[in-house]
Amino acid sequence: MIYDEFVTQIEGHGRIYFEIKDGKVVEARLEIHEGSRLFESFLRGRRADEVPQMSSRICGVCPVPHNMAAIQALENAMGIEASEQVKMLRRFMLSSQMVQDHALHLYVLAAADYLNVNGVADVYAKYPEAVKRCIRIRTVGNRGIELVGGRAVHPVNSIPGGFAKLPTRADMEKIAKDFKSIMNDCIETFNLFASLKYPEFERATEYLAIDDGKHFPVYAGKLVTNKGLNAEAKDYRKHIKEEFKPYSNTKFCTINGHGFHVGAIARVNLFKDRLNPTAKELLKSSPIKFPSDNPFHNNLAQALEMVHYCEEAIKIAEELAVKLKDEERPKQTKAGTGVGVVEAPRGTLIHEYTVDNNGIVRDANLIIPTGMNTTNIEEDLYALLTANVNKPKEELKWLACQLFRAYDPCLSCSTH
Amino acid sequence: MKPKVAIFDLTDCEGCEVQIVNSKFIDRILAGVEFVHFRLGQRVNRWDNFDVAFIEGAVITSHELELVKKIREHSKLVIALGSCACFGGIAAITNFMDKEEAKRYVYGENADKIETLYIKPLPEIIKVDFMIRGCPIVPEDFERVVSDLFAGRIPREHTRPVCMDCKSKGNPCQLLKGVACAGPVAYGGCGAPCPSAGVPCDGCRGPLEDPQITAELELLKKIASKDDIIRLFRKFAPMAPIFKEIGGGKL
Repeated sequence: MIYDEFVTQIEGHGRIYFEIKDGKVVEARLEIHEGSRLFESFLRGRRADEVPQMSSRICGVCPVPHNMAAIQALENAMGIEASEQVKMLRRFMLSSQMVQDHALHLYVLAAADYLNVNGVADVYAKYPEAVKRCIRIRTVGNRGIELVGGRAVHPVNSIPGGFAKLPTRADMEKIAKDFKSIMNDCIETFNLFASLKYPEFERATEYLAIDDGKHFPVYAGKLVTNKGLNAEAKDYRKHIKEEFKPYSNTKFCTINGHGFHVGAIARVNLFKDRLNPTAKELLKSSPIKFPSDNPFHNNLAQALEMVHYCEEAIKIAEELAVKLKDEERPKQTKAGTGVGVVEAPRGTLIHEYTVDNNGIVRDANLIIPTGMNTTNIEEDLYALLTANVNKPKEELKWLACQLFRAYDPCLSCSTH
Repeated sequence: MKPKVAIFDLTDCEGCEVQIVNSKFIDRILAGVEFVHFRLGQRVNRWDNFDVAFIEGAVITSHELELVKKIREHSKLVIALGSCACFGGIAAITNFMDKEEAKRYVYGENADKIETLYIKPLPEIIKVDFMIRGCPIVPEDFERVVSDLFAGRIPREHTRPVCMDCKSKGNPCQLLKGVACAGPVAYGGCGAPCPSAGVPCDGCRGPLEDPQITAELELLKKIASKDDIIRLFRKFAPMAPIFKEIGGGKL
């Protein structure tokens, strides 16, 4: 049976196909039909300084992580070491992106599932306060990205080595206040999503996120999982395998031959001890505990992260409001190959580039969170449908779509 | 009766739809129109007649080619949303490459299973009533066009280059700094976010109606290599008239 329209309320175009014979699920497939833009091909031959801007076009929903992963990879390739201040500003931009993007997914895309209405216009008609909360959160998140990145969608200001233009201390003080003004909205979002009823389903899997040894995952680090993987980012090809399946334009990723999960639930499952204090307190009072093996709880993990990253943005902005200073930008020192890893709202993102002596990109390889999740989504689909096989088909279709949506998939990203 | 609106996305990054959500009028839009077809925003979508259909993204698959023709049949007005729809967008850079080789680089031996058409701007495929340009669009442009449409007015085209936006912001001129910038020939109205952040304009909104392209090229040739000029125009609006010629190497 094919869910014959594209799945709604997700970024990009994909369908779910499943087949049930004699009361058994014999097939559960994720068919991603988003057209292939071939980023890896056309980034070759471009100058390293224009690539981060171009890479951000992979996704208009989460442009910042693509921008940041590209910059980090190019710096690693060209022997540029960014200053601690630059890294703080990058963590600030990524935190701002997390806050606004999670708000988008939770209120605009996922909420309709849990409130049982048709879509965002109906959510607004019935729960205008919730949508206004979403708008407030997104406005500040956007402002944070804009302040440091020059623009909310597809930042222009961040380049290898640092930033073309720095904000001022007064800017940072102002934005800290802005983030404080939405802290309560983020907490209310968590409380709302903690009160929802999630489908009962559990399947143990491997969770992957990056680890810089210090922060709740966001910018740079090793690749770690709950099953003991602890690898340097540059060795990602040794551990993460990509496979082509004829029914999908996105490649399918595996670790040791099986699926793994990246995203908010993976980060919270692995690193909940590193959450900022307010998020940590909220988690204590939550009726749903982490680590959780229920993929639908990814939505609650997103709400929890909104609180964490909002607090993170405040922390960084307040620190920089006191000590931000002008710095010289380091320059390219060599040609080479480099890997960059960041956490996107949807999970771990890897960019790899080879740069020649003229500063021109010669090779590019990108592994995107939704691409990492594809195998796990299929494995979850199979298990979820098997557990509910006796339910009416319409209900199964809907459950399958809701599961897919809970991952907050980004199919444009995954196909790129 | 509320205007019947459809929003379609083809292959793209969906950043222009995100900019719609970023509009300060978004609550009024949510309450003021009927979304008949809006895959990103709702579960049930219908093929009624639309008063206005917005199409975001590039036509990369034959499914999308059929889809845009169907949208045209169902809609009184069709608005191209963003540079992918208006000018092929960033993915149209592959139009200037060996597409089979480009596919092989990404998909290896499975390249022949991937369909990627020669990417044409939407106005070359169907009649488009208005274009909202940019990569991404700016929310203010969307608000302006929507207000005009719903007041029964025909939206106006901007007639000023990005340089005018730069001037009004007081930005230092990139060209005077010796940096290759498309500002003098690029369609303005964006508020010049790129030069304001300290980087050149790369003409994502396409060319002005009557760009002084000879003068621009003369200037650019003094400060940039031929490859850099090609890269500048073969970027976010590579299939826009004139940009396509320069991006194709006709300097």
